[in-house]
Amino acid sequence: MTHQRPADSRTVHVEGLARVEGEGSLLVEVRDGTVETVELEIFEPPRFFEAFLQGRRHTEPPDITARICGICPVAYQTSACLAIEDACGVSVTDQIAALRRLLYCGEWIQSHALHIHFLHAPDFFGCQDAVELAGLDLAAVQRGLEIKKVGNHLMEVVGGRAIHPVNVRVGGFYKAPSREELGALVEPLRRALDTALTSAQWVAGFEFPEIEIDYRFVSLRHPDYYAIESGRVVSSEGLDVDAKGISDLVVEDHVARSNALHARLGGQDMYLTGPLSRYALNYDQLTPLARETATAAGLGTVCNNPFKSITVRAVELVYACEEALRLIEAYEPPDPPAVAVPGRAGIGYGASEAPRGLLFHRYELDSDGLIRSARIVPPTSQNLLCMEDDLRRVAQANLSMPDEELGWLCEQTVRNYDPCISCATHFLDVTVERR
Amino acid sequence: MEVLVAGLGNEYRSDDGAGPAVAAYVSERMSKVVSKVISEPLDLIGAWDDADLAVVVDATRSGSPPGTVQLVDLGTGGDAGSSAGPMSSHGMDLRRVLRLARAMGHPPRRVVVVGIEGENFADGLGLSPAVEFAVTEAGDLVLRVIDEVSSCA
Repeated sequence: MTHQRPADSRTVHVEGLARVEGEGSLLVEVRDGTVETVELEIFEPPRFFEAFLQGRRHTEPPDITARICGICPVAYQTSACLAIEDACGVSVTDQIAALRRLLYCGEWIQSHALHIHFLHAPDFFGCQDAVELAGLDLAAVQRGLEIKKVGNHLMEVVGGRAIHPVNVRVGGFYKAPSREELGALVEPLRRALDTALTSAQWVAGFEFPEIEIDYRFVSLRHPDYYAIESGRVVSSEGLDVDAKGISDLVVEDHVARSNALHARLGGQDMYLTGPLSRYALNYDQLTPLARETATAAGLGTVCNNPFKSITVRAVELVYACEEALRLIEAYEPPDPPAVAVPGRAGIGYGASEAPRGLLFHRYELDSDGLIRSARIVPPTSQNLLCMEDDLRRVAQANLSMPDEELGWLCEQTVRNYDPCISCATHFLDVTVERR
Repeated sequence: MEVLVAGLGNEYRSDDGAGPAVAAYVSERMSKVVSKVISEPLDLIGAWDDADLAVVVDATRSGSPPGTVQLVDLGTGGDAGSSAGPMSSHGMDLRRVLRLARAMGHPPRRVVVVGIEGENFADGLGLSPAVEFAVTEAGDLVLRVIDEVSSCA
C-alpha cells in the first residue's frame, strides 16, 4: 500500500499483519540526507490490564495477566506470582521454584523456536514469510516446528495447556506433574537440543548487516543459573537492584504522538533488555555446550549487533533445552504443589525474563488482599527508545538504498526485538519519507 | 472422523472473543470434537495436523453489520488465498498458516472458516449485544458443518 505523498517527498509504506485490530507504525523522515525523525508507535495491552486488575483478589493476576500475551503468558504469570508473594511475605519452596523455571523453559523453547525459524529467519533470505522460506529450506522450517512442539508439550505437561497455562497459581501450582509425566519429555527434549544445535549453526551462516551499538544492557542475573524466572536486576554500568529497585528506577513517560509509554532508567537513560542484554550480563552462567555453540557461531562474550539477536536466541534455545533436561533429571515433585499465600496489605514486586526481555510487575494490596493498584512494565515498552535509536542509525547508514529495500531493513530492525506490538492483534506500518 | 473446532481470538479484546465463545458453545453440545481456544494462528499447526475437518471461528471486520455470520470454505487443497500482508514481527495470519501447513505436509483435509462480524475490538471483557446474539447462530452453523462433513465421510 502506498501513501499519498507531497511532490517533494518519497514515501514507502510496508504493511504488516492485521488479523483483527491494533496499531503499530513506524515513521522515518529524512531531510537533506539526514534522518530527522524516527517515531515508532506501539499499542500496549498491559495498560488496560493494570486498570482491570484494580479491585480483583490477590490470587487472580496469574490467570488474568496470562491473557496479555499469547506468546509469553508464563512470563506474565511468573512476574505476577513473584510480586504477589512478595507483597504477602511468602517464599515458595525450592521444588516449586524449580518447577516454575521448568515451565518457563517451555515458554523460551516455544517462543525462541517461533521467532528464529518463522518470524526472523525469513528476513535473511529475502522471504516474505516462513511459507516462502519453506520453499527454499523446508528442513529449517520443520526444525522450528519440531522444537516448538516440544516447548508446547512441556507447557502442556507442567502448565496444563500450551497456551495460557491454567495450572499456575499464586504460591505455586494446582497440581504437580509426576516424575513419569516429565520423564516422557526427556527424549523429545534431547532431540530438540540436537535440532537446536543444528539451527544455531544455520543462523550463524546468515549474512548480517554491519552495525555495532554501545547499548546500556539491563537484565536479571541469578547467582547460580542463567537468569530466567528470578534474579536481581543488573546492568552493564554496575546497576544491581532487586525488583523493587528497578520498579523505582524506571520512569515511563507518555509521548503525545504515541499511546505507548517510553521507559527510561532514572527518567533519563534509555536501556536495552532482552537476549543481547541477558547474554552480555550472564555469559558466564551459560552451560559449556551453550558457550561452545556461541563461539562456533562467531559470538564473543558480548554481542552488540542487534541483527545477531537471532544467533543469541539460538544459543539461548540450546540452553533452555539443556536446562529443561537438567531440571527434569533433578525433579522432586513439590508436595504440596503450592504454599499458602494469605492476602494482606502490602506492596510487592516481581521480575522475570520474558523471551523478549525484562518484565516486571508491582501490586499494592489492601488488608482484604484486594488489588489497589497494579503496574506492569513489559519489555517492549522498555526497548522502545532503543528500537528508535537503532532505526535512526540503520536508516542513516543505508540512505542510499531504494525506498523498498530501506523499508524492509527498517522493518527487520524492529523485528530484531521480537516486539509485542499488541499481543493478540497487531499491525505494523513502516513509512520512510524523504524530503 | 477427527474434527477440530478452533476459536481464534482473545476474550480480553471485546468482540475478538467471539471465536472462543463459539468454540465453547460447540464444545458443550458436541463432545466428540476437539474444541480449542487459540490465540496465535500459528498454534493451529500441530493442533489441526491431519484432521479430517478443521473449523476455525474468528471475529471479522469486513464492514458488514455487527453480528453477521459468514462461512468461508477454504476447501481441501489448492490456493489458500493471499495473506493480509508481509510478515509481522510477532505472528502469522490464518491463510499464511494454512499455506505453511500445506507446505509442511500435514494440513487438515478440509478447512472451514466461520466469521462473526465484530463491532468493538477495544480492551475489555464481554461481547457486543449483536455479537453475543450471533454466537448461537455461528455455533449452530459449526454444528451443521460438522454433521454435513461427517455424513459425507
